[in-house]
Amino acid sequence: MGNSTEEKVVAVILVGGPTKGTRFRPLSLNIPKPLFPIAGQPMVHHPISACKRIPNLAQVYLVGFYEEREFALYVSAISNELKVPVRYLREDKPHGSAGGLYHFRNLIMEDNPSHIFLLNCDVCCSFPLPEMLEANRKYGGIGTLLVIKVSPESASQFGELVADPVTNELLHYTEKPETFVSDRINCGVYVFTPEIFTAIRDVSSQRNDTATLRRVSSYEALQPATRIPADFVRLDQDILSPLAGKKQLYTYETMDFWEQIKSPGMSLRCSELYLSQFRLTSPQVLASGDGTKSAIVIGDVYIHPSAKVHPTAKIGPNVSISANARVGPGVRLISCIILDDVEIMENAVVTNAIVGWKSSIGRWSRVQAEGVYNSKLGVTILGDSVAVEDEVVVTSSIVLPNKTLNVSVQDEIIL
Amino acid sequence: MKALILVGGFGTRLRPLTFSMPKPLVDFGNKPMILHQIEALKAAGVTEVVLAINHQQPEVMLNFVEEYEKKLDMKITFSQETEPLGTAGPLALARDKLIDESGKPFFVLNSDVICEYPLLEMIEFHKNHGAEASIMVTKVDDPSKYGVVVMEKEETRVESFVEKPKHFVGDKINAGIYLLNPSVLDKIELRRTSIEKEIFPKIASEKKLYAMVLPGFWMDIGQPKDYLTGQRMYLNYLRKNAPGELLASSGDDVIGNVMADETAVIGERCLIGPDVVIGAGCVIESGVRLFGCTVMRGVRIKEHACVSDSIVGWDSTVGSWARVADVTVLGKDVQVADAEVIQMSAKPEIIQKV
Repeated sequence: MGNSTEEKVVAVILVGGPTKGTRFRPLSLNIPKPLFPIAGQPMVHHPISACKRIPNLAQVYLVGFYEEREFALYVSAISNELKVPVRYLREDKPHGSAGGLYHFRNLIMEDNPSHIFLLNCDVCCSFPLPEMLEANRKYGGIGTLLVIKVSPESASQFGELVADPVTNELLHYTEKPETFVSDRINCGVYVFTPEIFTAIRDVSSQRNDTATLRRVSSYEALQPATRIPADFVRLDQDILSPLAGKKQLYTYETMDFWEQIKSPGMSLRCSELYLSQFRLTSPQVLASGDGTKSAIVIGDVYIHPSAKVHPTAKIGPNVSISANARVGPGVRLISCIILDDVEIMENAVVTNAIVGWKSSIGRWSRVQAEGVYNSKLGVTILGDSVAVEDEVVVTSSIVLPNKTLNVSVQDEIIL
Repeated sequence: MKALILVGGFGTRLRPLTFSMPKPLVDFGNKPMILHQIEALKAAGVTEVVLAINHQQPEVMLNFVEEYEKKLDMKITFSQETEPLGTAGPLALARDKLIDESGKPFFVLNSDVICEYPLLEMIEFHKNHGAEASIMVTKVDDPSKYGVVVMEKEETRVESFVEKPKHFVGDKINAGIYLLNPSVLDKIELRRTSIEKEIFPKIASEKKLYAMVLPGFWMDIGQPKDYLTGQRMYLNYLRKNAPGELLASSGDDVIGNVMADETAVIGERCLIGPDVVIGAGCVIESGVRLFGCTVMRGVRIKEHACVSDSIVGWDSTVGSWARVADVTVLGKDVQVADAEVIQMSAKPEIIQKV
């Protein structure tokens, strides 16, 4: 297999584009979803810093179809900070989750890597990448998927798979099945050898057009088969499903947490998970205080160094406060994300909410929700520049940008 | 002179406050509701008050009566009906207590009413027209909610009563304050009778009923929303006539009309008012917002909480950062947890003990 100290590894993180991640609105109206802060860092920062733990990491590529300038600043900053070369590659058009990888294969293979990691940027987990690399070397196939066990009821939302309990070989894979197949699901984190490019090429050159069991919509049925471009290759349906059971693909199971950040509410949940991970890996990042010189801090809290928090405020657990935010006297924050330049005035309460950039929260007002992360109104979301006036109560609602609320609202979507 | 106050029943609309205190003793403006009326009667020269009740009174009521008989040097007795007598029957029941040789007229008051009580003026008015009965009427914006008193054109004599009229017949309603000659008692039988539907229409047809328009404010404070409106009006009245009863606006912390007992303690960085009443021994911690609310005796409002348009019952505690709003009524000794929100309009329920 060669001397492992010379074998390089490249990581590719799929970041999507403006037509993807629309469920993340209104928070994604202003900022690409991959750059939305989770636990005080842009979402994509977490997989990137996990990549740093891979031995012999040569390069990280972010692949997506946002405009280059949206990522230019971030990419150069993160390269400096983590001392890892990070580069954004823009797809001129969507190529599908595997097609994007294939499209940039020349760049990716420039460093002659022995392994290529493929990660989805909206996955929240512990990213056991070095362990997956080891496992893949042992199995000797063309790739290894990260998998996790979930509750049988929720499994149908994901790609369900069946793995051999002894060899860990991927035996069967199906995306969002109608009936129960398995409680093991695909986490969206993969490691491949360069043979994956051959597999992708083979798919696009012989497109399989047999009818599937899945009911297609009228729109889909009316598309002529030739309309699907040859270079549009989906990883799940076109690669994983056909290659399952052929001793090519293997699985690595994680026992840690795993979530997908599809909706704003989930970003609050994932913030909580990453903050508690910081407590173990880098506790100096988290805030502390006892009410004397700085505010009382309870549990895992991140406060950006430029934010100002009054000593009589009480913050936490599970709170992230971004740059230049101002938190006034007597404020209580529980389970929330406070974005840049937000002003929270005296004695206000924010719980189970995300407060958008430049918003202002009036004195004695309340922004709150039940805290059910994946229900539509389970976390209150305020878009950017929302003003909540004094004493107003905003409960279980989504408020779009630039709105001023001078009466209390509950269970509403305010346009 | 003598007076009868129709105290009536169990005060169901002011529950949960009336689970712990008989309605006449529920505080209004830091004083038992019925004391406002008894003091007004005393100022008008009344020496004997009969309280018309329909069930046995608890000890706390008996003690109140004993205390104020001494303090005000008045005679205060009970007249208890054993079967429902309506709004006029209780007068017949108390006949012997109301009539004496002097032949003077007597007052009848509804216990839920709050107003300026211009009773001396009413005595003058009654003397001047020399007829059998006088009632106070008050002008309202939405008369169809009540019983309208129709006056004879350009006179103060009453022509008729119309219950909840469908189209406009007048904007004066019965304010619940009467001054009656003893002869009225001869017209009332000892059975369930309505004073508005049976007795007054009869006297009106004999052209012996006159109405005086009540100057100033008027409110029936028998239910929480109206209690709070009445409180606002009452504080406004005090601002004009007895400003010493109110807190002086001190710096940024007190705004508008606020009444606070001298034993109440208010912390720093609060914003109190307008239209707030704070009872004896209350502790308002720092950073608290109180607006349009009543805080009864012995209540503690903890730091950074906000109470608006609500009534907090005796000895309760409202936790830090909690929110009590929207005509919530907390009974006696209710503990609202820290950061809890209670808004009645969202989920109406009676909270007695949390």
